[in-house]
Amino acid sequence: MSSAAAETVPAGLGVRRLGLSLGGVLGYGAIWAFMAVFLIYPLLHLFYDAFTTEAGELTLANFRDFFTDRFYLRALGNSILLGLGTVVTTSLIGVTFAFLLLRYEFPGRRLFSYLSIVPMIMPPLVGVMGFVFILGRAGTVNILLMDYLGFPRPINFMYGIQGILIVETLHLFPLMTLSIVDAMGKISPSLDEAAESVGARGFRKFWDITFPLTTPGYVSGALLVFIWTFADFATPLVVGVDDLLASQAYLNIVQFVDRRLFKMGIVISAIMVLLAILFLIVAKKYIAIKDYSSLSYSVIERKTLCPLAKGGVVCFLGLILILAFIPYLGIALDSFGKGWALTPFPVQYTLQYFERVAFETPKFIVNSLLYAGISVVICIAIGVPIAWVGARTRLPGREVLDSLTTLILALPGTGIGIAYMRAFREPLPGFEVAFIGLWVVIPVVLGVRRLPYTVRGTYASLQIVHRSYEEAGESVGATRARTFRDITLPLIWKGVLVGSLYSFILALQEASATLLLVVPGHEMMTVGIFNFYIGGSVNEAAALGFLLILLGAACLLIINRLAGTRMGGVFG
Amino acid sequence: MNIDIEGIVKRFGKLEAVSDVTLHIGEGELFTLLGPSGCGKTTILRVVGGFHRPDRGRVLFGGRDVTALPPYERNIGMVFQNYALWPHMRIFDNIAYGLRLRRFSAAEIREKVDRALHLVNLRGLERRYPGELSGGQQQRVALARALVLNPHALLLDEPLSNLDAKIRIQVRAEIRKLQKELGITTLYVTHDQEEALTLSDRIAVLNHGRLQQVGTPHELYEKPQTPFVADFIGINNLIPGKVTALRDGGRGVRVESVVGPLEGTGDERLAPGARCVVCVRPESARIGEEAGAAVNRLSAVVSFPSYIGNTVRYDVDVNGFLFKIDVQNPGGSRELPPGSPVVVCFPTAATLVLPAEGETAAAVEGAE
Repeated sequence: MSSAAAETVPAGLGVRRLGLSLGGVLGYGAIWAFMAVFLIYPLLHLFYDAFTTEAGELTLANFRDFFTDRFYLRALGNSILLGLGTVVTTSLIGVTFAFLLLRYEFPGRRLFSYLSIVPMIMPPLVGVMGFVFILGRAGTVNILLMDYLGFPRPINFMYGIQGILIVETLHLFPLMTLSIVDAMGKISPSLDEAAESVGARGFRKFWDITFPLTTPGYVSGALLVFIWTFADFATPLVVGVDDLLASQAYLNIVQFVDRRLFKMGIVISAIMVLLAILFLIVAKKYIAIKDYSSLSYSVIERKTLCPLAKGGVVCFLGLILILAFIPYLGIALDSFGKGWALTPFPVQYTLQYFERVAFETPKFIVNSLLYAGISVVICIAIGVPIAWVGARTRLPGREVLDSLTTLILALPGTGIGIAYMRAFREPLPGFEVAFIGLWVVIPVVLGVRRLPYTVRGTYASLQIVHRSYEEAGESVGATRARTFRDITLPLIWKGVLVGSLYSFILALQEASATLLLVVPGHEMMTVGIFNFYIGGSVNEAAALGFLLILLGAACLLIINRLAGTRMGGVFG
Repeated sequence: MNIDIEGIVKRFGKLEAVSDVTLHIGEGELFTLLGPSGCGKTTILRVVGGFHRPDRGRVLFGGRDVTALPPYERNIGMVFQNYALWPHMRIFDNIAYGLRLRRFSAAEIREKVDRALHLVNLRGLERRYPGELSGGQQQRVALARALVLNPHALLLDEPLSNLDAKIRIQVRAEIRKLQKELGITTLYVTHDQEEALTLSDRIAVLNHGRLQQVGTPHELYEKPQTPFVADFIGINNLIPGKVTALRDGGRGVRVESVVGPLEGTGDERLAPGARCVVCVRPESARIGEEAGAAVNRLSAVVSFPSYIGNTVRYDVDVNGFLFKIDVQNPGGSRELPPGSPVVVCFPTAATLVLPAEGETAAAVEGAE
């Protein structure tokens, strides 16, 4: 109906010129309204709060307080150092993994290729618990060292910055690997061969030619690693570190005693958001001027290694993966084990903790699946049109939408959580409760936070579908909507699904905004894990964590079936 | 430096991309590997460049066995089909990179790059990035990058296939001129037979990884050894038939073909009763009045005339066989309309009889 009406508008007039029907205009408006209400408004509100006094007067005093407080400055320095440190460690591991997996042939390459993504399904909150069970003061390793090797004191692997560094590195290096694999896979192998033909070899070739060509992928991977580490407060709190920016933001916000501290929480999250935006702009500049990749993946002939090098490669990859899988062991042991104290391994095994978290209080699992599910629906409803607008139209504002999507990717969960708490705390007109008192706020915030993955997945597949397929559809008389349904959608659904599954996994694992926006009675699994652990019910936390890992593994299996290992683009 | 390729075999999984190919490329020669896509020509080039290790056979540079050497120790200049200019380096740095690896001084590098750019007629673009250049310009940069190292041999992998038709002809002429000036041994890969004919000193025609024929452009066009070469180089009427009689050791051949009895010239590979293919170039045949009193005379009906400016190409029907005839400079007269009965004739000297495919491969390799 509406499209037929638009057809009659003479060419060169109004909406038709933009290639949109009336329905399209309304839809585009709806997307913008969603972004305005659930992203732009809360962020603006956060900044408003940070730049005003309790009475609402404009002031810089809050920031002066922050930048004159030695404790906060140290926390800022620690956070940046931790972020940079994680970028360095994940780069070393991630780049090596990507390079070996892409360019060389060795036994078990396919298996390693698959396993190297698996650490991503371990939410850091669960991962840190798993590490503590194995490497903590009373963990398996220290017990073995003291009881059997006569160490006088436990070694402190976990409690401190080094513990966070271990956890974040082993959790996030796959992100780096994926980004690099994606970028490297799109570089024409002839660029490498050209370097060989003029005499470049080995490390020199890698450093001069191969690596610089992957910079766009590398920079986006590094940015995400930095910001995710920077914004994570749950992991540090589990290992007892609180002199980090994110931890301070969380602690200041959840206490209800001191108004000044509460304000500092807001200021800290505003600073974190500002820093994220700043990093994003710098990275974006760098990426924009240097996009070398072609759209297609090229086939690379893998080099075979000499037996000694083969052994070395397998040992290195194996070692890193064993380390990365430590937390799985810890979580598994602690969720099934009973009375695990002062022994290397549990002495008794039981299912009672699973019974408790799955049957006695099933709300965590039910809520998680429900809210993550709804959030994916939001992701698809908003994200697919955004991707389509970006890839196929010249609508005004599409660049802004693209920037907003990238911004979300970089936005610290703590920041957006606190922004929602401030922006939606007044009761809704005509209601008794505020928006943050309704359970709907959780799927909405998850939908917003995980939107980029759906957009990226869809966008990437749209770019591979050549425009001429659609034009051919239109040439035989299909309308734009019809063409999208009959031609485009069948060609891109895999990409959309992969992106959506990523949105789903990461929504399940979200443990920053959801920890702040707890609606009593509507807690998700991550909230349950955090509360159980902090409250001392370690086994229940482990059991919930174990289930969360299983869910993630299931999604990853489906993704792998659908897309192979070529899914790094989702994070770019 | 001359290049010897001895009995190269290269397999990719089950597919044998190159089957026992032996070639000799002389000092300063421009040697072309020609064939349809998938014939193994690029594979041979990459074996020579060191990007593939052959499963069997050897590659010799000036008599020295280089089969086991990696590309970076062969001192070759390679130009890739997509040019493979490094997008993150300026033009200057693209060309200078190999020199830097060889630790030339900054002054020497500047001088050599300058000379290379001069050679390919491309100065003043040193500060640009590859993405800012046209295809033809990128092509020249790739050539300069290959030449600046003063390589033993130049390897060109379909270097013109990404260029517009006009620029292609221009760059083609420049490559030829440059190659002669420098006297550099060059291995050139293309699927374009016209390009191969105009550029090359000698050409090797390949099909399905096997060598079909090696020769100068003249030899290939005028004396194709196999129906494949006859068909691939230029345009030919290939008429299937059977040898009925031979004289002078096969130089005179009588054939019973699908268009009737024909007489032509052949060679010792033919035997009475053997299946054969009769090749007649469209420009060798005459039509109508000027047909004259040749031995090979056929009655035909015009089925489709096409006007190509200086030529009219007639497709004529002879007993259901479509025969192509080119009439040069038709002048003012109109083409004959479809359905016109005509007489077609061609001299025995221009009627080449070849053994049918499958009975030829071994004989051809011996002919080199």
